[in-house]
Amino acid sequence: MEIMQGLNLLPLAAAEAGHEKAHHEGLSFIGLAFYVLLVVGILFSILFFAKKGLNKRVFTNKLTSATEQMYLFLENMCVGIIGSHGKKYLPFIATFWLVIFVSNVVSLFFPSAPTADLGFNLGLALISVGYVQYEGMKSNGVLGHWKHFAGPKLPIVLIPITLMIFIIEIISEVMKNVSLSLRIFGNIEGGHQAAEAMNKLGQSVYIPFGAFLLPIKLLTCVVQAMLFTLLTCVYLSLVTSHDHGDEGHGEDHGDHAHGEPAAAH
Amino acid sequence: MEGLGIGIAILGVALGLGIIGFAAMNGMSRQPEAIGKMQTAMLIALAFVELVFLLTAFVVVPAVTANAKPAVEAKAE
Repeated sequence: MEIMQGLNLLPLAAAEAGHEKAHHEGLSFIGLAFYVLLVVGILFSILFFAKKGLNKRVFTNKLTSATEQMYLFLENMCVGIIGSHGKKYLPFIATFWLVIFVSNVVSLFFPSAPTADLGFNLGLALISVGYVQYEGMKSNGVLGHWKHFAGPKLPIVLIPITLMIFIIEIISEVMKNVSLSLRIFGNIEGGHQAAEAMNKLGQSVYIPFGAFLLPIKLLTCVVQAMLFTLLTCVYLSLVTSHDHGDEGHGEDHGDHAHGEPAAAH
Repeated sequence: MEGLGIGIAILGVALGLGIIGFAAMNGMSRQPEAIGKMQTAMLIALAFVELVFLLTAFVVVPAVTANAKPAVEAKAE
């Protein structure tokens, strides 16, 4: 039982510092570095072996074809949501997907994970939102990007309302960081705590009930990794769409693009 | 008291998630060829509703408890 609990759920830092303090502060610096290196190591070794199968015409290596499927899925998501220029952002999105997914999976087997630490998630979210701002400024111009926050053009009398919209939009832009980071943190850390609580439930009969949560936690892993990348895609599509204001038009556009080859056949 | 808050948050989030799932399934059964698009939109909506509960559980409740504790101690003294 103790092995089970130690394996599954206690944060590394909790053993060193006092329990409550460590619980609120998450991993120590060394702990976080260990887990990040672990994730990066897993990623690099998987991709290293996947790359070995690349030199053939048909991928017979199973790992390579699985990686190709993942690539196609991500490409489909990028092009479907951002639009025809979405392929440009694929490396960015794919990196996020891989890091978040692998570290979520690490959280299933290890006491903690990078994504179970709020600081790491906040870093990811800052990168994502910051890149969205950069892309927005690149495609609309610096002034155009800031103008975008002020809402529609109103008569000169309604300047207070424009000011209010601007402030609210800026706040919501900053809150994107919080929402992106807190979502992963809450799901992964919440999963840990739920498993811990269920382990306590079965302590007297020596059944680790928390282990039965693993399938649901695996689902959470996939969904959370997808949500982060999906939302990044949506934010990117909102700032980089050139002729259409919102997302709905973009999807209509995609429909036409699909419709034309069908008509040609 | 924060238990009550969590209860209310769970109630609201459960209703919200249920409505989203209901609507998505309705739409999927009406139009099975649009399932892919619907799933994407559904996941985004789910994420925003779910965030409300995460905010309650991880931000508001710890803040309220941290503020409430000194008052209770002061009363006890």
